[in-house]
Amino acid sequence: MSKSLALKRNQSSMQVLKTLLLLLQDNYTMSELVEQLNLNEKEPIFNNSVVSKYINTCRFCGIEILKIHNKYYVTKLPFGLNLTNKEKDLITLLQNNAKKCLSNKTRSIFENLICRLSRFSSKELIRVDKNALELTYSTFESAVKNNKKIRLMFRTKAIMDCTPLEIVEHKGKPCFKVLLKDRQRFIVIERVTGLEILGDTIEVDHSDRSVVFKIYNDLIMRYSARQEELVTTECYPEYITATNRGENKDVLLSRLLRYDSNCEIIHPKDYRNEMKAIIDETLANYGE
Amino acid sequence: MFKLAENVDISQISLTGARGIILAGLLMMEPRTLSEIKQAFLDYNILDKSSSDDILRIDINTLKVMGCEISRASRKTDGKYVLTEHPFTFDIPEHELKILKKVYKALKSNATIELLFEYDELFKKLASYVINPETKEGLLGISIFKYFDINAVKEMLEDCQNKKVITLIYKKPNAKEATQKDVVAQKLVFNNDQIYLYCYDLNKKDSVMLNFKRIRKIISKRCLNKDDNIEKKQTKIKFHIKSFDKSLLKDTEKITEQNYEGYFIEGIYHNDFVAMQRVLSLGAKCTVLEPLEFRNMIIGKLKEMRKIYE
Repeated sequence: MSKSLALKRNQSSMQVLKTLLLLLQDNYTMSELVEQLNLNEKEPIFNNSVVSKYINTCRFCGIEILKIHNKYYVTKLPFGLNLTNKEKDLITLLQNNAKKCLSNKTRSIFENLICRLSRFSSKELIRVDKNALELTYSTFESAVKNNKKIRLMFRTKAIMDCTPLEIVEHKGKPCFKVLLKDRQRFIVIERVTGLEILGDTIEVDHSDRSVVFKIYNDLIMRYSARQEELVTTECYPEYITATNRGENKDVLLSRLLRYDSNCEIIHPKDYRNEMKAIIDETLANYGE
Repeated sequence: MFKLAENVDISQISLTGARGIILAGLLMMEPRTLSEIKQAFLDYNILDKSSSDDILRIDINTLKVMGCEISRASRKTDGKYVLTEHPFTFDIPEHELKILKKVYKALKSNATIELLFEYDELFKKLASYVINPETKEGLLGISIFKYFDINAVKEMLEDCQNKKVITLIYKKPNAKEATQKDVVAQKLVFNNDQIYLYCYDLNKKDSVMLNFKRIRKIISKRCLNKDDNIEKKQTKIKFHIKSFDKSLLKDTEKITEQNYEGYFIEGIYHNDFVAMQRVLSLGAKCTVLEPLEFRNMIIGKLKEMRKIYE
């Protein structure tokens, strides 16, 4: 190859590749794309019609680019990561779990990761037209966080004013767990057509706290501390003390119940009282 | 080869740009010779038959300018162009990796060993796709199997499926010395960040759970024979549960009846200990109905627990 040939490059090909690289980084509107692409040019060479042509070129090559609410989303890259259907299912399962175990903020970070993974995957991993549903989720979680009551609206034009608790999976469907007249109810999210935060504040404390519990007897040797736990052995062999931070309350109490009389919650007081109430209530089931 | 979109107006696209993208894709899949690239372009109808090879070389140069590392086509590479690095790959920043770990952690608490194997493979696949070595390391560090000898776990899983009789050395948490056991492997279970071997102890004549990490050595394995005389020592209980999410049922539990308050469930567990742990974890929603002996055991245990909080 001659030296002059080695230096030759195709300008329009480079511009198409630059457009693709930008779209693989994030979702942009046409004007944002034009602005971003022109940033590194001496004089503006990109405009709406040129970029539109380049997006069509990407689409021609099998790259799936959807336009939703004026933004362009790459949802499939044919020569990207080749995930099997089983692997896609595993990612969906992670997404479902993220809805249950993450806060609103961290879940949006996780969704961003899946969104980016989808861009680089040869299979579509996410439905991008779920903005409305996401908005409902985030409104619900914002109400939980701010201890606010909500009004749910349904297709039948019925309304329900209730206390939001959490988003859970119930009978295989994503549901809003709410409190209505002191009874827990599971509302299938797809039935909800509207959600409004009401002004009433609920007196609930949802803050993350440290939970301290003692471990006795043979469980001392068998116990393996969780990642979020700190174990101190000052009083060994009588007992060891574990300090747990951030584990979901229901999950933690259910786990500590399993340890039966080999475990005792020390702090905080309301956790200790709740554990006592569960034990009393369970014994009451047996008439004790 | 990947499929191009149909029904696209050719006048609305940049053919040279399309060549750039397709060339990147072709080289990402595998190294190619110039004639292979040319043939692919002809098949995709984005190059004229009469076009010179220099057009392809310019396309390769363009990719290089865009940040692709493409080795020369030499004898060493069988005349193929090899793409060693490119910007069309994704990375996972540390904060996202942290959240991925958190989600996996929540998921693994209810997962089977088989499902955890599948996640292990998925993380390995993602790690092989990313270029950043720190991200690679982070992804490989998510799976629970980083703490275990995965091949030994896989082998044990197979032994469980084949109901193998295993002679092993096991070190109990409280024991000073390890002891030899002859067990019939039945099931591998992931629980509380540990892997347990559910098995039948031929000497004790009882169903036991062994912490996989405490198995010091496998001495021998053989097939189960008629003389082994295994009694089916599982714990079968019936309980009622209020306001329960059916998706949380274990694979050995089934709903036998339903009333306005909840479900009647029949569960079969490896032994009393496992059954007791399951019932206690369900809290006040659960009431054991049968057998009476087990019901009394639960009541006794709950009374012991109440004493602690008095």
